[in-house]
Amino acid sequence: MQTHVTEVGSDFDPRAKLVAVMCLSSLAVVFQRPLPLALILILAVLSARYFRSDAVQAARRLRAFLWIFAAMAFVQSLFTAGGAPLLSVCGISLLSTLGLERAGSIVLRFLVIIVSASIMATSSPREIVQGLYQWRVPYELAFMVAVAVRFLPLLRDEAHDALTAIQLRGLKLESIPLRQRLQIYSYLLMPMIASVLGKARELAVAVEMRGFRAYDRRTSHRTLRMRARDWGVVSAAVLVSVGVLGVFMHM
Amino acid sequence: MTVMTVIDLRNVVYQYPDEKRPVLGGIDLCVSGTGLTALVGPNGSGKTTLGKMMAGILKPDSGSVRINGRDASEMSLGEIGQQVGYLFQEPDRQLFAPTVQEELAFVSRVRGAAEEDIAGRVGNMLDRFHLSHLRERFPFSLSRGEKQRLVLAAILIQCPRFLILDEPTTALDVRRKAELAENLSDLDSEGVGMLVISHDHEFATRRASRVIELRGGAVHADTRY
Amino acid sequence: MSALLCVRDLSYSFPGKDSPLFSGVNLTVGAGEVVGIVGLSGSGKTTLCHCLSGIIPLIRTGDMQGVVRVMDRSTRDLTPARIATRLGIVFQNPDTQLFFPRVEDEVAFGPENLCLAPEEIDRRITAALKTVGMEGFRHRNPHRLSGGEKQMIALASVLSLDPRVLIFDEALSQLDAAGRKRILDLIGDLKRDGRAIVMVEHNPDNLVVAGQMMLLHEGTMSKFDGQWQRFAAL
Repeated sequence: MQTHVTEVGSDFDPRAKLVAVMCLSSLAVVFQRPLPLALILILAVLSARYFRSDAVQAARRLRAFLWIFAAMAFVQSLFTAGGAPLLSVCGISLLSTLGLERAGSIVLRFLVIIVSASIMATSSPREIVQGLYQWRVPYELAFMVAVAVRFLPLLRDEAHDALTAIQLRGLKLESIPLRQRLQIYSYLLMPMIASVLGKARELAVAVEMRGFRAYDRRTSHRTLRMRARDWGVVSAAVLVSVGVLGVFMHM
Repeated sequence: MTVMTVIDLRNVVYQYPDEKRPVLGGIDLCVSGTGLTALVGPNGSGKTTLGKMMAGILKPDSGSVRINGRDASEMSLGEIGQQVGYLFQEPDRQLFAPTVQEELAFVSRVRGAAEEDIAGRVGNMLDRFHLSHLRERFPFSLSRGEKQRLVLAAILIQCPRFLILDEPTTALDVRRKAELAENLSDLDSEGVGMLVISHDHEFATRRASRVIELRGGAVHADTRY
Repeated sequence: MSALLCVRDLSYSFPGKDSPLFSGVNLTVGAGEVVGIVGLSGSGKTTLCHCLSGIIPLIRTGDMQGVVRVMDRSTRDLTPARIATRLGIVFQNPDTQLFFPRVEDEVAFGPENLCLAPEEIDRRITAALKTVGMEGFRHRNPHRLSGGEKQMIALASVLSLDPRVLIFDEALSQLDAAGRKRILDLIGDLKRDGRAIVMVEHNPDNLVVAGQMMLLHEGTMSKFDGQWQRFAAL
């Protein structure tokens, strides 16, 4: 008896989503110019809508990183000469059209990745692990990825708590010189690493006592089956990718 | 005798982002800077949230929190930490240095205290909390009770006048609880004001001069002894 | 009726240490019996649980002497996977025992590892959830549950391997009063079902369901006389 639970977005086999996401990511890597990347981003957003993922919320949650990327992109543009200079100081070109293009490309790529990740997030980690496992990825590997996904948000919370705790010892970080502040930040790693190691040990014992890696293989309670609509997604992803590549290669 | 208020809450309301109802629904409280105040109540009553609010870790959605007369939302955590110490439930979350000694010393050092001064104060704290034999040890290798003593010492070495303890008796056995009670008693005699948040009613109320009971995000009872 | 768990002259020393953490531990637990072991922090309770369950010497190291027999097989002669069908252990922290986004996946994990057929796995999930009274939670996310509910799921995920022996390593210490009551009631059911159960706690009040009470103190195990408050005296 195969039980299958229907949820928003998980109507599709996670492997179909994986193919779509891999196509989007590959296209984003292949192209350099902002115009094709913008088109790929539009395709990504449309796919996200189709899979009913909340790409907008994902982007909003990661907007801090977006600023970092924009800053990185801007810095890179400072070192890229070429194209018409847009901003010059003392005869040194600070901002050029080429630099701005490159910056734009970086930001667009990052957005494609965020949207792709939000598509994968519509499947439960267990389903993704199962999908990878049925694709012959070793179970241990897939399992580790699922566990990492489960524990990464906790790590973020711990970092936040550690920062809070250290300041509440009376350390006004804002008025401490940079070099000492870096030392303090390195001290923050201590509780985080200890916590991760502790959890990893406990987890390792718990899974072994439930038979993990008892044999070379394992059975699955729920098996994924690719259905017509899943094959539809896979075909569409591959065809559109090839099409986009073809169109832009010609130009 | 003047009762100095250290933390003043006016109509504090707070709701966690992914929850449907506010966990604190309009709290008015003045917490005294001396004596041991117990904050008790069932799980989910909002005790920990209230404690975090008092230390400026969380900012109220509406209402105000004042620490020693100043609006907490205008103070940085570092400034608050110089006046109010906070002991988290998990000692592991607040151990930072490679040795016990360094754990006690590093904040003073960063704040520019003289080395002889630091050495003296560290020695005192180690003796007081029975940690001298552990001075070179890696903090994470200590037992839970020892870690908690270390964190307490590391907070107190900065001389905050007020201390908030969040569920300090979790996972402590009867002997360690008794030791903790004694430590708190000593602090009380030294004039360090304390707020103990605990679902262990008996422990929290044992030496309390005031017991505040929270239920459903509101003050249900407030008794002075 | 032979004992399901039999411990003879057990001692353990940490790697590199000369003096043992505990020694001369003897224990016999039969079907339908609950043995409670109480001890202060640092007395070696968790290490004892690790020895009883085979974690020592199979997963963790150290110098273990003596014999632990689970259903007539010495732990030294078994592998963790073979022990899993005989003995299940529930730990103190539910968050490091649960790692899947659905209760069903969690309870299926053990049987899947042991290559049981999908129909059998399904049957076991239903049975395990029924035993812990959490059938309605089958599709819920374990991380959104209360502490007591999480421990019930951790227990269910161990019960799906149908072990006759169960060890509870301070499994109640992070729970509130309501959570503790649920687990204790459940342990009563499991006892009536004929399982052999060992519970280890630092608070004897959590061991009301135990038929026998032992004290682990300063390296030895003896009958517990019920006098716990004397440890509070400094």
